[in-house]
Amino acid sequence: MLKFILRRILIMIPQLFLLSVLIFLLAKAMPGDALTGQLAANPKMDPQTLEEMKEKLGLNDPVHIQYIRWVKNMLHGDLGLSYTHQQPVTDLLAGRVGNTVLLSAAILILTYLIAIPLGIVSGRWTDTWADKLIVGYSYIGYATPLFIFALIMLFIFGFHLGWFPTGGSVDIQVEEGTLAYYLSKLNHLMLPALSGALINTVVTIQYLRSEIIDTKVKDFVKTARAKGVPERHIYWRHILRNSFLPIAAFLGYEITGLIGGSVFLESIYSYPGLGQLFLQSIMQRDYSVVTALVMISGVATLVGTLLSDIILSAVDPRIRIE
Amino acid sequence: MKLEANGPTAVGTNVEKSPSPLSIMWRELVHDRLALGSLIVLTIILLIVYGASLFLDQEEIVKVDFLAIHSPPSAEHWLGTDYGGRDVFGQLIIGARNSFTIGLAITLITGVIGLIVGLVAGYFGGWVDNIIMRIIDFILVLPFLMLVIVFVAIVPKYNVLTFILIMSAFLWTGKARLIRAKTLAERELDYVSASKTLGTPDWKIILFQILPNLSSIIIVNLTLNLAGNIGIESGLTYLGFGLPESTPSLGTLVSYATNPDVLQNKWWVWLPASLLILVMMLCINFIGQALKRAADARQRLS
Amino acid sequence: MALLNVNHLKVYYPVRGGFFRRVIDHVRAVDDVSFSLNQGETYGLVGESGCGKTTTGRTIIGLIRATAGEVLFEGTDLTKLNRRQFHAYRKDIQMIFQDPYSSLNPRKRVLDIVAEPLRNFEKLSPQEERKKVQYVLERVGLSAESIYKYPHEFSGGQRQRIGIARALTLNPKLIIADEPVSALDVSVQAQVLNFMKDIQQEYGLTYLFISHDLGIIRHMCDRIGIMYRGRLVEEGTSEDIFTNPQHIYTKRLLSAIPNADPRDRSKQAALRREVEEEYAQAYSHYFDENGRAYPLKPISPTHSVAIP
Ligand SMILES: Nc1ncnc2c1ncn2[C@@H]1O[C@H](COP(=O)(O)OP(=O)(O)O)[C@@H](O)[C@H]1O
Ligand SMILES: [Mg+2]
Repeated sequence: MLKFILRRILIMIPQLFLLSVLIFLLAKAMPGDALTGQLAANPKMDPQTLEEMKEKLGLNDPVHIQYIRWVKNMLHGDLGLSYTHQQPVTDLLAGRVGNTVLLSAAILILTYLIAIPLGIVSGRWTDTWADKLIVGYSYIGYATPLFIFALIMLFIFGFHLGWFPTGGSVDIQVEEGTLAYYLSKLNHLMLPALSGALINTVVTIQYLRSEIIDTKVKDFVKTARAKGVPERHIYWRHILRNSFLPIAAFLGYEITGLIGGSVFLESIYSYPGLGQLFLQSIMQRDYSVVTALVMISGVATLVGTLLSDIILSAVDPRIRIE
Repeated sequence: MKLEANGPTAVGTNVEKSPSPLSIMWRELVHDRLALGSLIVLTIILLIVYGASLFLDQEEIVKVDFLAIHSPPSAEHWLGTDYGGRDVFGQLIIGARNSFTIGLAITLITGVIGLIVGLVAGYFGGWVDNIIMRIIDFILVLPFLMLVIVFVAIVPKYNVLTFILIMSAFLWTGKARLIRAKTLAERELDYVSASKTLGTPDWKIILFQILPNLSSIIIVNLTLNLAGNIGIESGLTYLGFGLPESTPSLGTLVSYATNPDVLQNKWWVWLPASLLILVMMLCINFIGQALKRAADARQRLS
Repeated sequence: MALLNVNHLKVYYPVRGGFFRRVIDHVRAVDDVSFSLNQGETYGLVGESGCGKTTTGRTIIGLIRATAGEVLFEGTDLTKLNRRQFHAYRKDIQMIFQDPYSSLNPRKRVLDIVAEPLRNFEKLSPQEERKKVQYVLERVGLSAESIYKYPHEFSGGQRQRIGIARALTLNPKLIIADEPVSALDVSVQAQVLNFMKDIQQEYGLTYLFISHDLGIIRHMCDRIGIMYRGRLVEEGTSEDIFTNPQHIYTKRLLSAIPNADPRDRSKQAALRREVEEEYAQAYSHYFDENGRAYPLKPISPTHSVAIP
């Protein structure tokens, strides 16, 4: 097991390296560099000073030196300067990351709250009308694109019925730290989180359903039933317990989806998180922010996949990759 | 030992074939009411879209008319007009045509790449397979959506073709992995060994012996991917990083909803396109699911 | 001169392990095996499952690379040939596979299956091709109109006949039959075996006949090699092996043949116990300290045994 973990981490190192090279090259290809920020602040810089600044910032160095410096800076938490916001990218991200994490966590919690009961009902009472409804929902959820669903949710519950706010992460009037503040935050969170969750449940429902259907007919369940163990106990002790850990383990794989989803959800609900920041920055050509965000998402995805692989292999040794 | 009774049919005329995987799939499709309905709906949509787009003049549709800004549906403009006074119905037709065509193009390109890479990796194995799999693993852990957006933003001379290529560069991996796994399993079967001992060259074994056995999986995968690709394309276009403005897509119409006023009060601009995306994706998915059941003999309905 | 000489053939499969998945050991599937086949005879390779019979057969026909040793076919070492050079010998060596299900492509009509070798080696018009396929199919006892059917429309025995027809189309000299009937019902086995004997007469075929079933081997083979853990422990004519077994492993195999005559059953059970006892006691005499059999030593012009 330890060997597997080590080997799995070893596979991640070249991936991490390649990822950083790819993003570095993309950053180089973007029109604009560390100077753009300074230039925006002081547009009347003469060519002489510009050249000196370039030299000072090391923009004339060979590419691999620049790459190494870029990685070093990143490791020290220096992600450069955002020229539209005129502040370090790190600070900018720190102000936004909370919202995105909150949204993602809310999506996950809602996903499990919805998916687990539905999956159990569907798997336990197969071919009843409830099962058919749930399977129908999961088919539709699988086919529906998130952005369409989120727009329609916003249209209906935000604008038409007016049940939820239609943008932002919190009311501007409420004072930070008060109960009203937290309630407002929750209120703003509900609709985007629900939109994300209702689409996100599908995989978990289908997994749980087929797991239960498969385990139901296994010998050890039959034996327990023959011994007169009540049906409810059979489900809790024998069937579900085995299914929950893999579901939890899929968490890591969901990170990619959550990152992509947050870009859409934050854009649709004007929710001030990293996804929205990403879109704004790329439209304003604030590429130091873009680079930082892509790198962070890349690392998050890598680590998420790593964790899921490790947990899954602990649950089921057959999965262990060679 | 004569196990076959010699019937009256002359030798050579008896070309009755056993059900091929395609005909099994077709039978399953018509047996599944939902899938059959989806197929009919999708066919009608596509006939209307491609038929009408022959008669529609794209120039005419994208021409700005400031006298008719945001006018609601009427006899002249069946689905009203947008912020530039342009006919929404016309844009819907053109957009649906573009979305579907481009989704199909991406599906086919990634299908071909995935097929070639997967077959080669799976059949030959060894270090070829090893390298290919490492590359695929890497691409699969990249933050797909963000990278596509970055590429779209920085590519010079951005057009439809570049968009298709950028998307395809990421989306072939899943297929390649699936095909590789199936090829790997197929390669171990004795009919492949037999072909080798009969002197059949590798490329013929791959194309004419193994590939036919993967046809059902490939069809299922392509169908489901087609739906997914239409969704991804229109989503990216919605965000402003999909098709360029010269090639309106369904996502373009939906993206007008980023204006809260349009979203709230001018439903005719964005809702039809949203529903059309939804209906197309549902139909294709239902067809794909039915095909999947057909490919998996245990789940067949008929 | 013999049609086929296998000299000191070794096939090792690497075993990977450790942190970097390096090769840490080898499975010696075939470990220094030598034998030869004369034109027109049937040579039987017998041994328990996993002793390396299939690996031997597949290496001779070039499906598996030999680790060491040579396979001389009419004097040419096949292991030294590249793919293109080997192509010329494909016609001469054919194989009948164990599993009549997986060895026929389910997506191909019988015509395409049987014509596959023809399309690789002979340029025939479609009519000529169909005629030839129909002719071979009739030779193996299938009707001419079978050509438009798919494998799943046939029984196991019929499928094996299709496999045999496919191997026959190129008029090979040597056929490697890897447990050709072990997947078939006992009732069909004899039919297929007798049929194989018939076509051997007719086409002057040489068989390398692989089986774990000594009853079948006795029925089919002129000479027999007994294999154990990748090595030959005894080799001789059918007569030598069945009437005068020398190696303890051979004796053990022979004592395990089920006896049809119920009166002899108790006698056989006693014999089997006896052999088992001897086997336990004499094991160290017949195998070296690593449990490997010794090299073969001739004890008569036709008979060799692996003894120290
Ligand atoms: N591809 C392979 N990789 C590793 N070991 C193998 C492989 N094929 C066969 N072996 C091993 O080689 C030995 C001989 O196998 P085989 O030739 O199939 O035996 P037989 O046909 O006599 O049953 C067995 O121990 C088997 O496990
Ligand atoms: Mg074998």
